Formats: sequence, structure tokens, C-alpha cells
Amino acid sequence: MDARTIIESLSSEFPEAISESEVESEIRVRAYVAAEKAKETCQYLKDSLQFDHLCSVCGVDYPKRGEIEVVYHIASYEHPVVLMLKAKLPRDSPEIESVVPVYWNANWYERETYELYGLMFKNHPDLRPLVLPEEMLGEWPLRKDYEGFPNKTARNLV
Amino acid sequence: MGEVKAKKTSDIKNTPDDEIPGVITTTTSAIHNFLKKSKAQDVINWGRKNSLWFMTQPMGCCGVEMIATGCAHYDTDRFGIIPRNSPRHADVMIISGYVTKKYLPALKRLWEQMPAPKWVLCMGDCSISGGPFYESYSTVQNIDEMFPIDVFIPGCPPRPEALIQGFVELQEKIKAKKDLGTEY
Ligand code: SF4
Repeated sequence: MDARTIIESLSSEFPEAISESEVESEIRVRAYVAAEKAKETCQYLKDSLQFDHLCSVCGVDYPKRGEIEVVYHIASYEHPVVLMLKAKLPRDSPEIESVVPVYWNANWYERETYELYGLMFKNHPDLRPLVLPEEMLGEWPLRKDYEGFPNKTARNLV
Repeated sequence: MGEVKAKKTSDIKNTPDDEIPGVITTTTSAIHNFLKKSKAQDVINWGRKNSLWFMTQPMGCCGVEMIATGCAHYDTDRFGIIPRNSPRHADVMIISGYVTKKYLPALKRLWEQMPAPKWVLCMGDCSISGGPFYESYSTVQNIDEMFPIDVFIPGCPPRPEALIQGFVELQEKIKAKKDLGTEY
């Protein structure tokens, strides 16, 4: 399967949910998906299009648009295509269905995205901070309006 | 078990220290204080400075240099510097890298587990001032306010020779009774 047939198959299966799909090159395609359909799309990608490798889950903050995007990079062992699937979420209450039932390795990716952006993954089996301490929960340090950076280095030792 | 313990403590209480006629009783800390003011402390410090066992607890990329220092090539045994795996065996803790907010409680716990006398070395720019990560949301600043640090070893990372020199400086400090690990 090449990049174009993958996009066509996706858009015909979910005509309402998939938008702004684009073939960037032979090996890269991208598409926006409606947030509530993200899990079904992943299930379809895994079962019917052999996209069986979730490379990453991450977030992007767009404070001016008031949106947070969650980005899934999904690759396949069968055909040389990497799909970038994005979903737009409102910035004040970003919530999306967890894809852990589809791709088990999304577990830690989602935990990390949660602690850094405050993105809630609904029905995640164990949503708690991964690398940040518990007391930093709620600061969401990778959001662009985060202001908790220390503004001074250690004092002069000499 | 609990009963046996209670019995033991009550036994100790039954023999009050200050009621033995003709005998002056003392405490360990009094002995220590007496020794610290005498020449014997020089001998004790000579022993201490020649057995600086350090804890293998790599925290950042500097930790790799610390491990390399402990390997055979640099032969730190000739200074009595030996890597140990447990904080309960160690005399020296090396803060070898960035201290994150999540790791700080664990670091404090390791420090408390080490038996006195104990010393800390700051290895690398990260532990001294935050290094490349000084403006990060997750690192802790001013480690020297939390631990009594004797020697700062700058570098990113310091070479094993620099770490060995740091140890030698610590030995000099112990010899001169200027180290922060013991109160003189
Ligand atoms: S001082 Fe440099 S080498 Fe050492 S932990 Fe920091 S970044 Fe790594």
C-alpha cells in the first residue's frame, strides 16, 4: 500500500472525522482526526491497514488559538509509511480517549503528555506522573504560558 | 518480640550510670570531644583520609566519568578510594550531575543512610550551579545549601584526573581538620 491509498482508505472509512489529510511525500502522510473518533481511527489503522507501531504521543500548545493538539506518530512494519495523526482539543479542558487498549505502549507516552501538558486521557489504566514529582502536577511545564522557571543560577561561590 | 524489647530497656534503666561509687562515668560523645582536641585526632584523620570509599550513584553524564574513575585504569586504590555499592559502606557521596526535583528526596535519603564521618563532593557544573540546565523547570538550584559540600570539581564533565584531584584536595582538608564532615 502506498501513501495515497492509505489516506483514501482512511477518509472513506471516516468521512466526517478525518480532515486536512495530506500526502507529504512517499513515506509521510498526515491528517487531522476528530478527537472523539481518535481511538476508533487507531483501531481501524491497526486492524485493517497494518499500522501496528505507535512511535510517539505528544502534545503541542497553541495559546493564541486556545487549542492543544495531541499528535500520534504511527508507523507500519508492512509498508514504508509514517502517519502523523493529530487531534485538536480545547485548551481549557483538553480531554481525549486513551489509545492504550489499541496500542499498549501508549501507556507511558500518555502519562508523560499528561504531566507536561495537562492533557487528560480518559480511561487510561494508570494516569499518574511519570518523570515529574507529584507536587509539580498542575503546573504543566511544557505549556507556553508556564512561568515557573528559575530566573537565577546558583549564587557566586567564590 | 515487643515484650522482650521492653524488658531489655527496663534493665538498662535499672543501672543508673551516675550512681557507681568511685567511678567517673562518661559518654561516647564526651570521648569524641576529648579526642578531637588531642593529638590522637591526627592519627584518626590519617586513617580516615586514606580510606575514602565513595558511593557509586551516577546521576548524570558525569556519573560515567565517576564510574570510569573507579575502574582499574586509574587505580584509585592507591589513595584508598574504592567504589562501593551501598550507602552504608560509603564515606563519600559524589553529586555527579543534575539534581532534579524528583531525585532530591532520594538523594537526601541516601545521605542520611551513610554513616558518619561522611563527606560530599560536587562533581560537574550541573551540581555546582545547574550547568546547562540552570533554567529548567525540573532542576534544583543551590545544592550547597542542602549538603555540606567540601570540594567543588568544575568541568562538563570533569576528567577522571580532575575527580582524583578533588579527592586529594579532600584528603588535604581532612588532614588540616578543615573538612565539613566532622565538627572540630
Ligand atoms: S556537568 Fe556536564 S557532563 Fe556533568 S552531568 Fe552536567 S551536563 Fe552532564
